[in-house]
Amino acid sequence: MSDPVLSLKNAALSLDGNAGRVDILHGITLDIARGETVGLVGPSGSGKSSLLMIMGGLERASGGSIHALGHDLTAMNEDALARFRRGHMGVVFQSFHLIPTMTALENVATPLELSGARDAFDRAEAELEAVGLGHRSRHYPSQMSGGEQQRVALARASVTRPDILLADEPTGNLDGANGSAIMDLLFDLRDRHGATLVLVTHAPALAARCDRVIQLADGRIAPEAREQDNAPDLKAAAE
Amino acid sequence: MTLATSARFARRELRGGLRGFRIFLACLALGVAAIAAVGSTRAAIEAGLAREGAALLGGDAELDFTYRFADPDELAWMNEVATEVSEIADFRSMAVVDGPDGAERGLTQIKAVDDAYPLIGAVELTPDMPLDVALAAQNGLPGAVMERALIDRLGLAVGDTFRLGTQDFTLSAELTREPDSAAGGFALGPRTILLRTSLENAELLAPGTLFSSKYRLSLPPGTNLAALEADARDRFENSGLRWTDSRNGAPGVSEFVDRLGAFLVLVGLSGLAVGGVGVSAAVRAYLAEKTSVIATLRTLGAERSTIFQTYFIQIGTLSLLGIAIGLALGALLPVALAPIIEARLPIPASFAIYPGPLFESAIYGLLTAFVFTLWPLARAEDVRAATLFRDALGSSRLLPAPRYLVWIAVGLAALIGLAGLFSGTWWLTLWTSGGIAFALALLAIAATGIRWLSRHAAPRVKGRPALRWALGAISGTREGAASVVLSLGLGLSVLAAVGQIDGNLRNAISGNLPDVAPSYFFVDIQRDQMAGYTERLENDPAVSRIDSAPMLRGIITQINGKPAREVAGDHWVIHGDRGLTYSETPTENTRITAGQWWPEGYTGPPQISFAAEEAEEIGVGIGDTLTINILGRDITGTITSLREVDFSTAGIGFILSMNPSALQGAPHTFISTVYAEDAAEAQILRDIANAYPNVTAIRVRDAIDRVADVLAGLAAATSYGAAATLLTGFLVLIGAAAAGTQARTYEAAVLKTLGATRRRILISFATRAALLGLGAGAVALAAGIAGGWAVSNYVMDTDFTVIWPSALAIVIGGVTATMVAGLAFAWGPLAARPAQVLRGRE
Repeated sequence: MSDPVLSLKNAALSLDGNAGRVDILHGITLDIARGETVGLVGPSGSGKSSLLMIMGGLERASGGSIHALGHDLTAMNEDALARFRRGHMGVVFQSFHLIPTMTALENVATPLELSGARDAFDRAEAELEAVGLGHRSRHYPSQMSGGEQQRVALARASVTRPDILLADEPTGNLDGANGSAIMDLLFDLRDRHGATLVLVTHAPALAARCDRVIQLADGRIAPEAREQDNAPDLKAAAE
Repeated sequence: MTLATSARFARRELRGGLRGFRIFLACLALGVAAIAAVGSTRAAIEAGLAREGAALLGGDAELDFTYRFADPDELAWMNEVATEVSEIADFRSMAVVDGPDGAERGLTQIKAVDDAYPLIGAVELTPDMPLDVALAAQNGLPGAVMERALIDRLGLAVGDTFRLGTQDFTLSAELTREPDSAAGGFALGPRTILLRTSLENAELLAPGTLFSSKYRLSLPPGTNLAALEADARDRFENSGLRWTDSRNGAPGVSEFVDRLGAFLVLVGLSGLAVGGVGVSAAVRAYLAEKTSVIATLRTLGAERSTIFQTYFIQIGTLSLLGIAIGLALGALLPVALAPIIEARLPIPASFAIYPGPLFESAIYGLLTAFVFTLWPLARAEDVRAATLFRDALGSSRLLPAPRYLVWIAVGLAALIGLAGLFSGTWWLTLWTSGGIAFALALLAIAATGIRWLSRHAAPRVKGRPALRWALGAISGTREGAASVVLSLGLGLSVLAAVGQIDGNLRNAISGNLPDVAPSYFFVDIQRDQMAGYTERLENDPAVSRIDSAPMLRGIITQINGKPAREVAGDHWVIHGDRGLTYSETPTENTRITAGQWWPEGYTGPPQISFAAEEAEEIGVGIGDTLTINILGRDITGTITSLREVDFSTAGIGFILSMNPSALQGAPHTFISTVYAEDAAEAQILRDIANAYPNVTAIRVRDAIDRVADVLAGLAAATSYGAAATLLTGFLVLIGAAAAGTQARTYEAAVLKTLGATRRRILISFATRAALLGLGAGAVALAAGIAGGWAVSNYVMDTDFTVIWPSALAIVIGGVTATMVAGLAFAWGPLAARPAQVLRGRE
């Protein structure tokens, strides 16, 4: 593998809550190559979303190291991580997380505005066209269907042309038809821009489309899945 | 990342409208409006006083002397500088009306005028007639006019006859407007106006009688008042002259208005502090709603500063809107209500929009908004992107970053500093700020204590699910308990403190006095009347005690040869003229604390016995010399003893007593206090008044009632201020109740699913509200009692007892207010169908 885009060494995550300390991830070691698509699968509570979060610097790992594009995320403070994300990462959520007081266009333009891009709105407009929502650019999230909202979220994640796309169950809140349309769009965007895609999913069909599937259980990478690329059972399920 | 981008995000966020900000805006607007209205009214009165300065004073300038008329030199100077001079004598006397059941007597403040009065303005009479006609002789008797209160008290009608001293007068009209009344200050009796020439046979202005003469001057246009004042002071220094001019025609009134205004603004500030609690709660609630938006922005790459700026701009914009609404209300309400206010004010006012007080209240509003919103705003930037994935784990810090704490401290210091600067009374500002801080701290501790108690009590309550749910709900949310206890508690604390101070003040001046206070003060008893006067009273078994003393009035002009003001500053002892006496031996209850009383028959250089406490305050002691101006003559004496003087018993208390030979030669009268049984009072008054018509009797009970009336007015004004604070507190309470609706709806849905009836849920909601109200009321009571005690003890130097009716009203008010607010928002949660609610949460 050439220089990995994402490299985790013994990454661990523990959080202090009211009920005491909870160990969520244990010794995750993983490299993801440029342009690779990786599916994170596993039962609820296995640590999939948490792994995605520490990859995106959304959560600070409590142990080990996480490098993204050669940068040590564990050495960055919150603001440095925010700046890194807006330059190199796009994130898609299950619940879309569009800002309700902003129109579709403004939502998509937000990461560009944060980067200080002068043509933020032109580029956002083009990205909305690309996801088929050019005609809805002035609409607010509350005026759109779930599928449309997720398309806006995809446009927002890809508009900065990120090196890494992180998606947390992007079809989890959508029906079958909408879910599959979003899936197509996500992979289409990834193909067009050549980004590395890491997605968390419960859907076997979606996981099957990934270059590599990583199975998590109890905060660890399951041994049997560690080296399985294009897992045949998942491929079969997808077919 | 620029401020412009943050401003853009803020603008987009504001598209959500004012939902959730109504209480925020109301709190800020009400607080600012109250302060702006008080300030505008004060400015209107000050403008009215300035505009009408000459009319209020009755001339362009006034020279005032005590105990004497102006001497030829002084008169010559006045006639030289003025185009017209009017002379007035002002004194107290008894108006007497003979009736079939004996004589009726009433204390009156007499203004004996000349033909020139009034130089400015007009006296209004009913029936309408010119003053000179009313005062002219009719049917062989001089005319006089009286205020309605005295006419009614004496049972007089226009055309009837009454007596002053030994002179009969015809009441020719009712005095309905006295143009220069405000300049006269506090009077114990209603006004009577007559011609001074008509007093010649009244035997009232005998030598030594306590009166003041006032000379009103009409000055040529363009006269430099400051220069003229300096000239008068220079020429007649130490003559006991008091100068007033139209630059401040009613100094007593304007000082009173100024102080009352400053005090009410401080009460208004406590209202703003209550509003601040509501504002803070509203911002916290709003930002809690915005957590996912903030986390999303963080995910998309927004830095902490972007988040802070975005919400700071939003809240700042809304604060400006709230302040603008408050300013509009505070500026326009006094103007709109001007006719009503003017009708009730005894002094002129020019209602208009005054920028000064509006600016002051806007600054207060801005700083309050800044101080109370910065904390929650600062915590908003701590929201992490991970919040989108999980709520509770790794929750953010309680305290914001240190730099914000520094800014909050700076804002608070600026608020207190400006309040001190604007009000001009630093100690009152610091006391008020300290009181508010103390009450807030106490309430915050109480809120935590109530939560702790609820948490520990809830598991022990068995068989009473409604109470257990209520305790659980109180212990469950930090915000709910805190905002209810803080907002309501602070409003109630202010009201409780006002109630305790007012009650104790009333007790101090009236409650304890009957045991020790005399029935009457008799003043202006001539030296040759003393023997007969004393004999009448000593032979009366109903009289338990008579204290009599010679009384003169003088001004302390120098201390050790230096001007008194240089040594003693603005102490009340050297402010104007003071009563002084002489005595061969110390009086019965005198306790000498230092030095020695002069020997009997002492005729050497004048010696002075001075009140010990006041001597310490103005910095004089044994061996120091004082120069006292009595009737225009300077007498310098040495302090040879200090003694305790108790003013609280309403008996005779002189700051300054001298050896007899020093003062005996000066014309003077005697003052006497008589301690008698209630039933004998009327007869004593009749006998003394009949025998000595020139003697004025002041019934102590009446005087106390008059003072109590003034205090009642002050307490009422303060209560209105406190009521505005309480109203703000109630608004915050409604805000807290409204904010909890969603949680209560969910709670009610779950409880209904588990089989709870609506009645039981309602009881639980009511219990929760009542417990919080009880807590707030109890703490307010403690804070109010502590505040009342501190003011009584340190400021007014009076005894303190808890005024229980007022205290209980506070607790009951607290419980009622929270119940009303809580239950008003209970119907929605009770009516909601569980399935809808629970499905919506999935």
